[in-house]
Amino acid sequence: MLALLFKNFIRSKGTKIGLIFLLIIGFISLLVGQQFQQKQQNNIKEAVNYQKEHIARNTAFHKDEIGLLLYYIKFSLVNKTLPINSLAIGQHDINPSIQTVTIRGLEAQKYNTELNNPNNLLSGNIDFSFVLIYLFPLLIISFSYNLVSEEKESGTWKIVATQSENTFLYILKLFYIRILSLILLFTIILFIAVLFLGIPFDKSLLAFYGLGILYILFWFSVSFFIVSLQKDSNFNAVILLTIWLFLIIILPAIINTYVVNKYPVPEALELTVKQRNAYHEKWDVDKKITMDKFYNHYPQFRHYALPESEFSWLWYYAMQQAGDDDSAQQSQELENKLQQRNKASQFIAQFIPTLHTQIQLNEIAKSDLGNQLLFLKETKQFHEKLRLYFYPKIFNNAAVAKENWSKFKVKTFNDPSEINFAKAFLPLLIFNLLLISLGWMRFRNSK
Amino acid sequence: MKSLHTEILIAKHLKNAVFKNSAVFIITLFIGIILLYAAFSGWENYTNQNQTSEKYQHESREDWLKNPDKNPHRMAHYGNFAFRKSTPLSVFEFGMEPFFGNAIFLEAHKQNTANFSEAGFSNSILRFGEISIAMVLQILLPLLIFFLGFNAVAAERENGTLKLLLSQGINWKQLLIGKILGIANVIMLLFVPTIIVLVFIWLLLQDFSISADETIKMVLFILFHFIYLMFFCVIAVLISASSKTSKKALISLIGIWLVFTIILPRTTQAIGAYIYEAPSKIQFQGDIEKDILKQGDSHNPNDLHYKAIKDSLLSVYKVDSVQKLPFNYSGFIMTEGEKISSKIYNRHLETLLRLYEKQNSFSKTVSFFNPYIAIKNLSMGLSNTDYDSYINFQKQAEDYRYNMAQKMNALQVKYISNKKLGPNDKPLTINKEHWADVAEFHYEPKGIREVLKSEIISVLSVILWIIMLLVLIRIASKNLKAI
Repeated sequence: MLALLFKNFIRSKGTKIGLIFLLIIGFISLLVGQQFQQKQQNNIKEAVNYQKEHIARNTAFHKDEIGLLLYYIKFSLVNKTLPINSLAIGQHDINPSIQTVTIRGLEAQKYNTELNNPNNLLSGNIDFSFVLIYLFPLLIISFSYNLVSEEKESGTWKIVATQSENTFLYILKLFYIRILSLILLFTIILFIAVLFLGIPFDKSLLAFYGLGILYILFWFSVSFFIVSLQKDSNFNAVILLTIWLFLIIILPAIINTYVVNKYPVPEALELTVKQRNAYHEKWDVDKKITMDKFYNHYPQFRHYALPESEFSWLWYYAMQQAGDDDSAQQSQELENKLQQRNKASQFIAQFIPTLHTQIQLNEIAKSDLGNQLLFLKETKQFHEKLRLYFYPKIFNNAAVAKENWSKFKVKTFNDPSEINFAKAFLPLLIFNLLLISLGWMRFRNSK
Repeated sequence: MKSLHTEILIAKHLKNAVFKNSAVFIITLFIGIILLYAAFSGWENYTNQNQTSEKYQHESREDWLKNPDKNPHRMAHYGNFAFRKSTPLSVFEFGMEPFFGNAIFLEAHKQNTANFSEAGFSNSILRFGEISIAMVLQILLPLLIFFLGFNAVAAERENGTLKLLLSQGINWKQLLIGKILGIANVIMLLFVPTIIVLVFIWLLLQDFSISADETIKMVLFILFHFIYLMFFCVIAVLISASSKTSKKALISLIGIWLVFTIILPRTTQAIGAYIYEAPSKIQFQGDIEKDILKQGDSHNPNDLHYKAIKDSLLSVYKVDSVQKLPFNYSGFIMTEGEKISSKIYNRHLETLLRLYEKQNSFSKTVSFFNPYIAIKNLSMGLSNTDYDSYINFQKQAEDYRYNMAQKMNALQVKYISNKKLGPNDKPLTINKEHWADVAEFHYEPKGIREVLKSEIISVLSVILWIIMLLVLIRIASKNLKAI
């Protein structure tokens, strides 16, 4: 019976075209992912080479003034992209994965963006998460909207009803072969991805796989429920597409607009204006004010007294430091706002399976806002460490040649956040169970 | 002219039939609510964005003017900001706005990136798209039209009423046009109130003092969207008329909608981006730095280029050291450095922008096959939220930056003495009156002429679509069969 049903399903032209289309576009998404991966790797290579050359050139020019040298020298920090990131590019095309900073004021450097064609950003990537979230449901809908209803419309349902003792079991079998073929397709693409993109077998991959299967099951549950209403095929098609439209286009858009308007970030512009003034005005105020501030922040440097001369690097870096210190409040507010935004949208997303899946996939791939915020935090620490290392050398005017410059390699940030399986799986699981039981009850009652 | 009596009768009939269906009521009501929400949130977003950027543009200008007497080069580093402002139509069409950086810091020697885009501050929800009036008009209404129109003719065919109609002396052309008008009539019940609200908001945002340019843009915005919606009414009826059953018609129409609004826009752009791979920032800046070093490095005391300048200055003025020159030497050198570096930067930027154009060319060309892309590009152009507008903003900011830096260099050349300072000398300054010589940054959006010029492909494709659909109606009226 099952074999016959499967033959019937796979023989249909529509099924074949649908499955092949999805396989091809799935494969294209892997190519896109591969290009993204290569670009990231090239960037890192580029950054490593650049830092080496750049430091060598500048140390040759500014041999006797370490303060001046460090005015120029830039150090890079790389946000490590996992191989699985190629499956869910997330916000990694917008946010730069490499921060390159001098030890001067950080607030003026931290928010520099990546070069981008806004057209590409607007239309979005065709990564595998897009194929999974947008296109799999469409195929699921097209495979299942006319189950039962089509047979009723063509008059074959009566034959089925008389020939099989349990029509409900028959319906389950119809769903079973469809679920199996799509999960198989998903598995095949993911398996190719693992080989092609060098994704390691680990918790991330497991979570990705689990989430994908739950998501596919979610759409089958939706179809199952709609089919259980036993309306005609046209109605099913319209209603399923409308649900798709709601979950993929309308609700996410409404929520995004809501979050953006609820948590506007004027702090960003305030911060940038503030840090400019905070640093520059120090050129025109009494040096003592700047120095007192500096000594308060770093009591350990109190014994470096300000030289008599009009200009000194101690004073200069104290001014730069003041730019950061005076705008620290705005910077913190901005960070809090972004955290709030992220939390609010993650919370709401739990109730919308499409959004939830996308956000969770990106979380697994470490390509969402949460990762970016951690990266910014790490940039701050990276920058602070450099400052603390170089400040005493600058204040002592240490010899440039004595420093081992080759040890300043590009550093890498590994996002340590753990995957929370419960948080990732539960919402989808609950939705699935709910829809299946509702559908079950419908079928039972209708008999 | 022949009266359209029969067509109007058919249209009325369709409209009545549609409104007997309670689902249509619910959907229409729902879309109405979404439209209101879109208008409201668009308004809020617009006022937020513009108030903030105006506030800080103003504040940073005051700060600039408040600077005391100082060396002009300090001022060149103090710098200015270019904050992006939106145009009134962007309340209805966000376009690429969320991906635009909203602030560029403009200082000497350095072209900074446009920072603080909405997208950089959002998580991936943003990538599902945003809700705006334009999105409802361009994506949701076409689908509603398809839902209304899929059984316009196909259902009559299934019921057998089609034969009846045709045998009563109604010809195919009358039937098709009648059905098209009927669907259009229903859609206008949503479209017309939307436009009225839109115009009202638009007037309110500009305090009822509107420029000719903005008015033309608004009129075109309405006109193009009207034409666009009519396309879908025609497509719906044509597909319905040529399908054997209403189910087939529905499935084909859904397919067309998906391809037009979801699949094609993303894939064509992705193909462009895949084929023409753009450099990353680190590569772009690295290349610029290399070229600048090749030309001449003003930081390198032994650089040949700058040594040649120095030697020729010394010989022209017949002096033996730069301190004896009648103007400020380092100001002169910085003028030269700025000129070289921004020339090189602009050259690289041109190359990059040409590459981006190539990436975009795929989706631009596809507008001939896909009216959605055509209307999207047009409405983004009109609301100043398209790619060209953004590049235009960045260019205006860069021009401003260059002029500011060179103005400060000129002040230094003219007013700052050439003598070498001792370690305890106060720095040389000029009077703060000069700061007002640099005008405030003012962003001027593109005029309607430039918009139409850069979106000429979209305008052409709209015209072609009109012609094509008219021809198709003619062909269909001659060839369609009742069974």
